[in-house]
Amino acid sequence: MTDATLAAAPSAESLFRRNLRDFRRNRLAMASVAVILIFVLMAVAAPLIAPQDPNETDLFRRLQPPGWAEGGDWAFPLGCDALGRDILSRIIYGARISIFIGAAVIFLATGVGILAGLAAGYFRGWVDVVISRVVDILLGFPYLIFAIGLMAMMGPGLLNIVLALAYKEWVIPCRVVRGETLAVRELEYVEAARALGAGPRHIMWREILPNILSPVIVVSTIRMAHVIILEASLSFLGLGVQPPTASWGSMVSDGRAFILEAWWVSTFPGLAILLLVLAINVASQALRDAFDPRFSE
Amino acid sequence: MKALPRLLMATALAACPAVIPAAVGAADLVVGFTLDADTLDPANHRKRETETIIRNMYDGLLTRDPDMLVVPEIAESMTQVSATEYDFKIRSGIKFHDGSDLTAEDVKFTLDRVVMENGMGDGMTSPRQGLMGPVASVTVAAPDTVRITLKEPWPILPAMLPNQQIVSKAWVEKMGNEGVATAENGTGPFKLVEWRKGDAVIMERFDDYYGGATDIPPVGKACVDRVIFKIIPESASRVAALLAGEVHIINELPAFSIAQVEANEGTQVMTVNGTRSFFIAMNMEGELFDDLKVRQAAAMAIDKGLIIDKILAGNAAPIDGILSPDAFGASELPKVGFDPEKAKALLAEAGFPDGIDVTMDTEAAFKDTAEAIASMLTKAGIRTTVAVGEGAQLSDKWRTKGAPKTGDMYFTSWGNGSLDPFDIFTPTHRTNDRGNSAGYANPELDKILDAAAVEMDVEKRRGMYHDAEMMITADQPYIYLWVPQDIYGVSKKVTGWKPSADSRINLHDACLN
Amino acid sequence: MSLGKLLERIIQLIPVLLGVSLIVFVMMALTPGDPVQIMVGEQSITPEQEAELRRNLGLDRPMVERFFIFLANAVQFDFGNSFYHGRPVADVIAERLPATIELSLVALVVALATAIPLGVVAAIRKNSVLDRVATVGSLLGVSLPGFWFGILLIMLFAVHMQILPVSGRIGYDNEVAAVTGFLLIDTLLAGDIGAFGDALRHLLLPAITLGLPMTAILMRVTRSSMLEVMRQDYVTFAEAKGLPRRRVLYRHALKNALIPTVSVAAIETGSLLGGNMIVETVFGWPGLGRLVVESIFLRNYPLIQAAVLLYAVTYVVLNFLADILYTVLNPRVKL
Repeated sequence: MTDATLAAAPSAESLFRRNLRDFRRNRLAMASVAVILIFVLMAVAAPLIAPQDPNETDLFRRLQPPGWAEGGDWAFPLGCDALGRDILSRIIYGARISIFIGAAVIFLATGVGILAGLAAGYFRGWVDVVISRVVDILLGFPYLIFAIGLMAMMGPGLLNIVLALAYKEWVIPCRVVRGETLAVRELEYVEAARALGAGPRHIMWREILPNILSPVIVVSTIRMAHVIILEASLSFLGLGVQPPTASWGSMVSDGRAFILEAWWVSTFPGLAILLLVLAINVASQALRDAFDPRFSE
Repeated sequence: MKALPRLLMATALAACPAVIPAAVGAADLVVGFTLDADTLDPANHRKRETETIIRNMYDGLLTRDPDMLVVPEIAESMTQVSATEYDFKIRSGIKFHDGSDLTAEDVKFTLDRVVMENGMGDGMTSPRQGLMGPVASVTVAAPDTVRITLKEPWPILPAMLPNQQIVSKAWVEKMGNEGVATAENGTGPFKLVEWRKGDAVIMERFDDYYGGATDIPPVGKACVDRVIFKIIPESASRVAALLAGEVHIINELPAFSIAQVEANEGTQVMTVNGTRSFFIAMNMEGELFDDLKVRQAAAMAIDKGLIIDKILAGNAAPIDGILSPDAFGASELPKVGFDPEKAKALLAEAGFPDGIDVTMDTEAAFKDTAEAIASMLTKAGIRTTVAVGEGAQLSDKWRTKGAPKTGDMYFTSWGNGSLDPFDIFTPTHRTNDRGNSAGYANPELDKILDAAAVEMDVEKRRGMYHDAEMMITADQPYIYLWVPQDIYGVSKKVTGWKPSADSRINLHDACLN
Repeated sequence: MSLGKLLERIIQLIPVLLGVSLIVFVMMALTPGDPVQIMVGEQSITPEQEAELRRNLGLDRPMVERFFIFLANAVQFDFGNSFYHGRPVADVIAERLPATIELSLVALVVALATAIPLGVVAAIRKNSVLDRVATVGSLLGVSLPGFWFGILLIMLFAVHMQILPVSGRIGYDNEVAAVTGFLLIDTLLAGDIGAFGDALRHLLLPAITLGLPMTAILMRVTRSSMLEVMRQDYVTFAEAKGLPRRRVLYRHALKNALIPTVSVAAIETGSLLGGNMIVETVFGWPGLGRLVVESIFLRNYPLIQAAVLLYAVTYVVLNFLADILYTVLNPRVKL
């Protein structure tokens, strides 16, 4: 990751602007940003736009087809699930949970990862040894198996899902930050700051962090997409969010059993996941192209 | 799958060269099954799926017919000599798959291996010891007779014996426990060809089979050449395999797939009354459900009929007590009607005019049903949140054997494979017993249950269980819900097979057209 | 690659394996659910019988003691008996492992075969329609929950068109002598082309489902490293010298651009091995992942412990392989 452009990094600010301009020019990227924004808005305004109460069950509407299909009713445009709940409303409310889980896990993981990675990369020595060893150990666990084990240990619940995923997720930003920090800490401007008597805290936060943020952001967005899928996987294994809360993952997972009889139950939330995750991925790809073409995960 | 765009299908078709699906051999009967066997050792398994597979290769002293009647199999006859002694006359001419003859010694060895401490050798006691109750000893009384002696009278011995399969003494001693775990040498209608672990158990007809239980016709060799248990855990995939013609019988067909299987040409649905009672435990040690009125209110708030109709597609029998309508001792009981208004009134009388807030624990598999029940309870003022937990966590929390419980309600079930009340009534209702998740304690009831367990007079025993059921309907420690049917998807090519209430899939009589 | 470096890697493995074992042990100790109670289920059992069962499973000893017993045995590759299988867990795992490895490797091949051409083309024609389509198309792969996509594939190819099987590894008419445990190899060794084809047909859908997310990752890595290489001096120089662009790209650029792809692929293979329990469940694939998840729910401690150690070793070894590949492909890098 030693790299000539970073040597000139004190002008990070202007570089950032130029990169942002590049990003803005990418129409596909802007479209995906729009999609993400729409989903976030949908999550925020869920009570205002959902046509039905997402948790209102009615067994007489069990597996009712979408509005346009035979037996459908436009009051329930995307049909009803196994308990007669409106799928559209559950997707709208579900956006809250899925986005929350994705954002919370990444926020936690990136925060911890930056702290640990900076410390390891800057101080090196035994700090680095300890942190790197912990990272190695955690990487040795398969992700899902670790999360399943943690869920079995902590019990069910939204917060526990976030924790179960974040316990391992932080390793990924940590490795990125450590690598970047190692590369940057020897550069001239950091040396200069050190020569001027700046303390480690100042150097880490003010000099190093701003210059390594791009790859961190890129990685975090990719990982966020991944985390949303992981939540669906946990639901598949029966360790998802608690009822009656809807998350897209749990909707797809619960609906998969009916795929022969009532395709709409799992297909629409599946499409919602697909669309959001795709948008995040496209945006992150564009971010990477614009900000850091050299970066590879 | 009408919904898939035609274009997509057409493209996919064009992209794939026409390949004919590998034809299943003409007389291979394939069962799409939920779980693989853990082991093939009849003395060392813990799951009924394992037993279902083993049972096609190993026969028992006694067995059950599809209507759950216990009949002799390897035994020719059974005689009760005294309250604690039973004689079993062993049939002659039975051969193990390795060609050796079955003797009374083998039967004794098999039962000793299960019953005795350290019976399996290597310091191992069989985990199936508990299924044999108070057996004191097994002796060879005559060259063709085995005598089982009990420490105390235990009328369900005959009902429990079909759970044990007879092994060959010489073979087990030669193979050791680890060898017995992956190979077989039974006397059953099929012998093992290959066990592809996690994938399939392949068996072929045993040509020297003695014919099986004389009370379950047809007697003779198995009809099909080979039987394959193919492991498909995911239910949508299992149904897909049936519809695609890859398998002939699937177990645990989800109720909502019934219409699909019926509509498909060449497949049909078969059901059998199950033996598992579903109920909701209300924590009587808690602050809310210690009040009978609150418990009654909860029972009245649930429209059992609607859930059976809509979610279980009509495939369940409602129950008013703990016993299945098919069980010994089941009787007509007073019904708790569906009456949400009266439920609210009862709540108010109990001092909760504004209703109560409770949590109902359940496992992921029952999430749908539990949620439907929760919304009914909520409408009657018992605002219920469903909490889905993992099986192991929930049994820690609710099956405490008398240790204090936390939690409000627990949607759960208890199996009763023998259809005898002793292994469902006692564990769930006797004070501090292993399945008493309601924390119910009624010394009167305990007395009746203890006496009924050893009562030898059948009619008297039946009456005792009726009295017991009347007590629990009055006290309402649980909300008794239903006994679901076991649902199977079956190819129309299969004849001579019907599902059995103990969830076994015995394929001796099954044929393929 | 010096011997010293190799030794250093092996020594580094020790704290990792110790740490992994300790974490698993602590997690198991803190997880509610008693293996004996789960095993007994609804069965009736006397307290004496229960104590006996507990002793059989070695659960009567204190936690700390059990940990040290485990360590002492593990160094001798003895991981104890599975609570449910009546056999050593090493045997039980060994039976399931080939299926998992075979599926992962085929998924890897599927991923590489799709990702590299797509990534190269996307890089060469950066920002073209082709690039966009390839990018979005490959991203679709990481954006689908695997179990859902798998079931859709089954519905389409197995139920509707009936050209591929729903589940399993090979038909039962094919009896293949197990030599390696990998059916694709064993069938070829037996010279049975029909069985080979059958095994391949069974592999196709699960491999696609499993390989899809990896395809997306590898495609992106290939694309960006290709872009980077194309900006390098020697490529520009070669082009300036008048060498045909095609030749420059494929001879010079591609080889260098593939270095990161290959090492990422090696590392990602680890996540394929550990992340396939969902695909295994959907396709009834008799692999290790499904077994481990079942074991967690059943609190089958010895099996969990051994499987997690195996995963950790695999991860470290794959990383090591990635490093070696890196040096082989790029001789300028010294380990």
